Amino acid sequence: MVKTSYMRLKGSQQLRQRLLLSTLAGTAILIEDIRPDDTWPGLRPHEISFLRLLENITDDCVVEINETGTKLKYKPGVLMGGRHLVHDCGLSRSIGYFLEPLVVLGLFGKKPLSIKLKGITNDSKDPSVDTFRSTTLPMLKRFGVPSEGLDLKIESRGSPPEGGGEVILSVPMIQNSLSAITWVDEGMVKRIRGVTYSTRVSSQFENTMIHAARGIFNQLLPDVHIATDHKSGSQAGKSPGYGISLVAETTSGCFMSADTAVCHARGKDTDVLEDEEQEELKRPEDVGEQIASVLLGEIEQGGVVDSTHQGLLFLLCALCPQDVSKVRVGKLSPYGIETLRHIRDFLGVKFVITPEPTTGTVILKCIGSGLKNLSRKIS
Amino acid sequence: MAVVSGNQDQLHKAHRSRQAGPSAKRKKKSDKKKGDVLEEKKHNPKAFAFNSTVKAKRLQARATEKEQRKLHIPIVDRSTGEPAPFVVVVHGPPKVGKSLVIKSLVKHYTKQNLPEVRGPITIVSGKQRRLQFVECPDDINGMIDAAKIADLALLLVDGSYGFEMETFEFLNILQVHGFPKIMGVLTHLDKFKDVKKLKKTKQRLKHRFWTEIYDGAKLFYLSGLIHGKYPKREIHNLARFISVMKFRPLSWRTSHPYVLVDRFEDVTPPEKLQMNRKCDRNVTLYGYLRGCNMKQGTKVHIAGVGDCNLAGVTVLPDPCPLPSAAKKKGLRDKDKLFYAPMSGLGDLLYDKDAVYININDHLVQFSKVDDEIAGTSRKGKDRDVGEVLVKSLQNMKYSVDEKLENSFITLFGRKPPVSAEDKGDAKASYSEDCVEDMVHMDGPFASEKAESGEDGTIDTDSISESSEQDKSGEKHVVAENEDNDSDEEDDDEWEGDGDKEQQPTPNCDFEEKIEFHNGRLRRKAVSAHDVHDGDLKDSDEDEEDDMDSKSSASSDFAVEDEEDHQTEEEAGNASKWRESLKERTAMRQSTNLMQLVYGKSTLESVTSIHEEQASSEDEESEDDDFFRPKGEANKKSEELDSYDANGEDCSKFTNHGKLKNWKNEEIIESIRDRFVTGDWSKAARRGQASDDDSEDDDDDVSGDFEDLETGEKNESHQTNNVGSRSQNNDDQANEERRLKKLALRAKFDAQYEVSEPPDEEADEKSGSKLHGSEANDGGYFDKLKEEAELRKQINIAELNDLDEAARLEIEGFRTGTYLRLEVHNVPFEMVEHFDPCHPILVGGIGLGEENVGYMQVRLKRHRWHRKVLKTRDPIIVSIGWRRFQTVPVYAIEDRNGRHRMLKYTPEHMHCLAMFWGPLAPPNTGVVAVQNVSNNQASFRITATAVVLEFNHATRIAKKIKLVGNPCKIFKKTALIRDMFTSDLEVARFEGAAIRTVSGIRGQVKKAAKEEIGNKPKKKGGQPREGIARCTFEDRILMSDIVFLRAWTQVEVPRFFNPLTNALQSRDQVWSGMKTVAELRKEQNLPVPVNKDSLYKPIERKQRKFNPLVIPKSLQAALPFASKPKDRSSRKRPLLESRRAVVMEPHERKVHALVQHLQLIRNEKMKKRKLKEDEKRKAHEAEKAKNEELSRKRQREERRGRYREEEKQKKRRAGRNAEI
Repeated sequence: MVKTSYMRLKGSQQLRQRLLLSTLAGTAILIEDIRPDDTWPGLRPHEISFLRLLENITDDCVVEINETGTKLKYKPGVLMGGRHLVHDCGLSRSIGYFLEPLVVLGLFGKKPLSIKLKGITNDSKDPSVDTFRSTTLPMLKRFGVPSEGLDLKIESRGSPPEGGGEVILSVPMIQNSLSAITWVDEGMVKRIRGVTYSTRVSSQFENTMIHAARGIFNQLLPDVHIATDHKSGSQAGKSPGYGISLVAETTSGCFMSADTAVCHARGKDTDVLEDEEQEELKRPEDVGEQIASVLLGEIEQGGVVDSTHQGLLFLLCALCPQDVSKVRVGKLSPYGIETLRHIRDFLGVKFVITPEPTTGTVILKCIGSGLKNLSRKIS
Repeated sequence: MAVVSGNQDQLHKAHRSRQAGPSAKRKKKSDKKKGDVLEEKKHNPKAFAFNSTVKAKRLQARATEKEQRKLHIPIVDRSTGEPAPFVVVVHGPPKVGKSLVIKSLVKHYTKQNLPEVRGPITIVSGKQRRLQFVECPDDINGMIDAAKIADLALLLVDGSYGFEMETFEFLNILQVHGFPKIMGVLTHLDKFKDVKKLKKTKQRLKHRFWTEIYDGAKLFYLSGLIHGKYPKREIHNLARFISVMKFRPLSWRTSHPYVLVDRFEDVTPPEKLQMNRKCDRNVTLYGYLRGCNMKQGTKVHIAGVGDCNLAGVTVLPDPCPLPSAAKKKGLRDKDKLFYAPMSGLGDLLYDKDAVYININDHLVQFSKVDDEIAGTSRKGKDRDVGEVLVKSLQNMKYSVDEKLENSFITLFGRKPPVSAEDKGDAKASYSEDCVEDMVHMDGPFASEKAESGEDGTIDTDSISESSEQDKSGEKHVVAENEDNDSDEEDDDEWEGDGDKEQQPTPNCDFEEKIEFHNGRLRRKAVSAHDVHDGDLKDSDEDEEDDMDSKSSASSDFAVEDEEDHQTEEEAGNASKWRESLKERTAMRQSTNLMQLVYGKSTLESVTSIHEEQASSEDEESEDDDFFRPKGEANKKSEELDSYDANGEDCSKFTNHGKLKNWKNEEIIESIRDRFVTGDWSKAARRGQASDDDSEDDDDDVSGDFEDLETGEKNESHQTNNVGSRSQNNDDQANEERRLKKLALRAKFDAQYEVSEPPDEEADEKSGSKLHGSEANDGGYFDKLKEEAELRKQINIAELNDLDEAARLEIEGFRTGTYLRLEVHNVPFEMVEHFDPCHPILVGGIGLGEENVGYMQVRLKRHRWHRKVLKTRDPIIVSIGWRRFQTVPVYAIEDRNGRHRMLKYTPEHMHCLAMFWGPLAPPNTGVVAVQNVSNNQASFRITATAVVLEFNHATRIAKKIKLVGNPCKIFKKTALIRDMFTSDLEVARFEGAAIRTVSGIRGQVKKAAKEEIGNKPKKKGGQPREGIARCTFEDRILMSDIVFLRAWTQVEVPRFFNPLTNALQSRDQVWSGMKTVAELRKEQNLPVPVNKDSLYKPIERKQRKFNPLVIPKSLQAALPFASKPKDRSSRKRPLLESRRAVVMEPHERKVHALVQHLQLIRNEKMKKRKLKEDEKRKAHEAEKAKNEELSRKRQREERRGRYREEEKQKKRRAGRNAEI
């Protein structure tokens, strides 16, 4: 009846972001030239998996992929949400890759979302589930998301390459819309918390990491508590690995996080690196020190969120009602910049970006797009 | 009239009441009486106190409940600046006096006679208020559109006739699309000769009106006509009611931008038109932006046409601005502007790139059309010189543009040919200039320029340019106005921004004066790309000046024009170094981070946005670079975003290589203050410094803007003041406190404003009462209100920091601005059948509203609609801005949550309706009509509904009953045929529950195999398909019918048809899909009848049972009593029925005696009865006589008593009179 007009995009970059915004704004998209020149052209397994996830939580969305996978047509459906959903995230990316868009989608669903995600919980590439729990969820509460029903439960952990972790994410839906925020006070760091984990390795690794990290923080702050989470048996997944996630809380209630994980590389990667050495794994002391340094780097940059969460922060600001939101971040991360561009394209929201030379931070202001939870049912 | 123009400061002599004489006496007496009443009340104060606590409690509860019912959830008011004119829709049935009301009101406000009412008419009605009158067309489409834009609806009702259907239809439409303010107006009241009857009618109509809206709704009476107009006094009162009206924000409208088009132009290139008259047209639509801010790139829906992309949006100067904010009471005559381009009023119209001069049709004698038509009549007359000149101009083959393009005249010494370069801007303006020159109609322009010079209101632009000419003062100015210059440059490029330059900056004010003293006033020079702005500015000033002055023409324009050109050329030179300067300032400006993120050409994309541009800028560039060598393209993209198109999608950005060594003491010290263990005061200072800095920055960018605001508005003045104060104590907490304070103040202001208008006491009272109650109730509501107000203040404060361009980018076009919307490729019918009497509504489409899908609405048939609605009969619905025809399926929700299809809507209940169409957000009102034709006697609103949710899949089910017969019965298993058509179908239903009529339950097992009974009729044929093997709880009979009851999905037709009634002649009725009934009627087809569905008299044959057969072996085993006995049936009847009775002689005697005795007794009884009858009759006669007598006596008595009473009364009255 009515021809849908597709927004034409190119390249595989930011596919998550594009699909997420397309679903929220109800714009159909057509992405061409997805890795056309690679040895393995087309969509990667995790991207396919994400598309499946979208199909799972929406109603009547249309996904068309050409034979080589270099062209994707996506027509969004109505976000449904629902309970007791299960999704296997695959092993090419960790669960953190899926959690980031999913938590936003869950807010605008017809029913509250509760979904079990299977795969890799901790990974050095994506934010770990611990970070997500300690930093991302409190951030959502600032935007007026009800705190009951907002939860991430880690059932079991899984490290690459074999995975085997399980988390249950539950996100409440919002009744009408988010609320705009003014969030420029970064405050001072008052405590540092963290979690280390280890699967199928000795729990001594964790203590070593904690010791190393504390060694760096001790000169700055006494209030440092890092918990250990040693999993064994079925809860430990299928591969050995260990890692750490740290979060710094400030006096004004901002959370800054840093995390990493150490594990054997994935099968495909090892194929490439076969002739080289079997990639030396890092020692736990180095990991501890490194991640503490990363966290201090984040703190040094300033801003109310760390660089990982910039994109999410901008997105939430853009989804607010038509009021002014004002946030302060440190250096703009490439991901944040791409997010800003995509927000402009999909939602028509532009940010005013003013740097502050004295503190090295950037203040962003925008008027929200006024997106409401359209799929909600009126009783 | 005097009241409005208002010299109320004039002192009147105070009234001096009489001190002596009869009137003074009377006064005293009445005073005394009043005093008595008061004293009497005081005598017994307890009598008016509460006696019972229960009653008191109940009363209080009732009062609070009433109070609570008045409260609305406070919403954040996001509108800033002047509000758009309020739309007053005048509605009524035909011939009720709609246009006369508008004419009278316009006359009252502006003292102008309006010849005819076509299109919206904007007037300035007060210092803070403008109104836009719209006459509602008669057809239902027009009514729906008008209801969507009305802020106030005046419902005109013919008092001599009573209410008509149109009024109620309109009310229903209004109710669905948000309920704006409504006022009834009764006209034709002079038809009543009898005063009593008039009064009664008024009363009756008023109460009917109240039941429809609310008790106490205002109904206004216009008593009659005087000289063909309504009486002045009554119109004055009506205007007063309108002027104090408070309008409520309606949720749909506050979340969608919309424009009521008050001017409409076809801007298709004439060449294209000549080629093909029916080509798609480009049109421009003008109107005030209402609702909410309109972002760039918003898609719009033009009611009656369809969805369109805006090819361009331009802000035009307000054609009907509010009077300046100078302190004075009332409106001056020159402020009483009005603007009605569709009605042919207002001689000059300003556009983005042109000025139109309106000449009435009867004054035009030179047009070609006229010549052709009336050529014969004018043959005899000689044409004068001017006429011939114009004729020759008309006969030219090529337009001026084309000539210019072809001729390559170098107009000015050093400039390259005009046509080549500045096609976009310069050409149009130059040609326009030339045309103006030829037609000699630019008098007002020149005079404007001269005037503005004399007034000293020169805009900054002209000053800076004039200073450029002044070689000596050049650098000085540049040094001072660096920032301004660059700003202006920006604005110049970005056409259509008239607002900013309108107001001089404060530091320019000084400059301005100097220039004025030096007498350099001829510098209206406009550089090549400044021409537009020049126009705009002129028009601005035009609007500010009196309209009348436009008629004066000046003769020395030609000279000025010359000078213009010269200066232009110089300005062109000057602009080069200015450009470099601009670049330098831009480099210095810190906002280039935004350019880094969003790409450079943000300014270009402002005016014209296509859908293609929705994709990001960098991608566009990639598009262009598609066929270039790969490396090159990559390089370019890397310039922009250091990210290649196939980059890794990862939110984490870790650069472990660049990690600092955090064990180093120095590095640790560098972030020591970011921890609570560090120096708190230093940390605080860090924030402070930044705040200071940011505010300084902001001031640099937009200082002039804020000043502009202070000049105009009180509110922003406050913010500014407080803002400057806050620079001293920059603390987060302080900032918050400040905003809160502001919010409170604003709230107080808002309240105060309500009670301020001195001319409306009733409103004041109600207002104060309301506030009193609010103050009492405090608590939650107040908190909500404060929050909303705080939000508003934050918004205002944050937005004030930005400069105009950035603001437009992030905020969009503001409400209340006058916009010019350019739409390309609309069907030519829109222009062809354009009718100014039908308002054109342009509504913005929100996120996700352009998608189509299934909508579920809760629908109720209107109780005045005659018939119930049938599923799958097309209806026309109006949702949001749209109207479309669609095919609904009705359903109802069962207890278990299943949506069961209904064939017809319930009689008096809500039901669900599912249909396909463009989506509207939940909670949107829907009004449905079945037929849009005008000549229907019945009520046209079919149903009203509200959107519940939308869905891409529908889950409506209907009941289905599969019927089968047993074809073979084993013990408890049977093969059922006719129920399914194929084995596949059987497989689908395996395990389904079935039942026989007699109630034996069973289950479908599997498709029957061949070997067990399912044998084909003929040997060698295929076994029959669709025979199911079923098991039952008992053995069934061959005569049993087997049912399978199930639910099946119902498809909702994917059909919708936009109502494009603006694309056809207005007197033609839009017709879409027809209902089945209509089709049958048209084609003369009978209603199909299923014979099986007809009711027939039930004939039940007497069931004949075979005799019970008991096996012999069983019989042998039975005891004798239970054994069936073999008895042959009798041939003859029994003896007792056959025999005759013969009595004995004694018996006979007894019998005779008894008979005799009975006879005697009967006779006796008869006699007694006769006697009793006689007696009763006599008694009744006696009784009647007595009664007559007593009645007579009583009457006499009563008469006497009344006589006495009358006498006494008279006596008393007389005595009273004496007293």
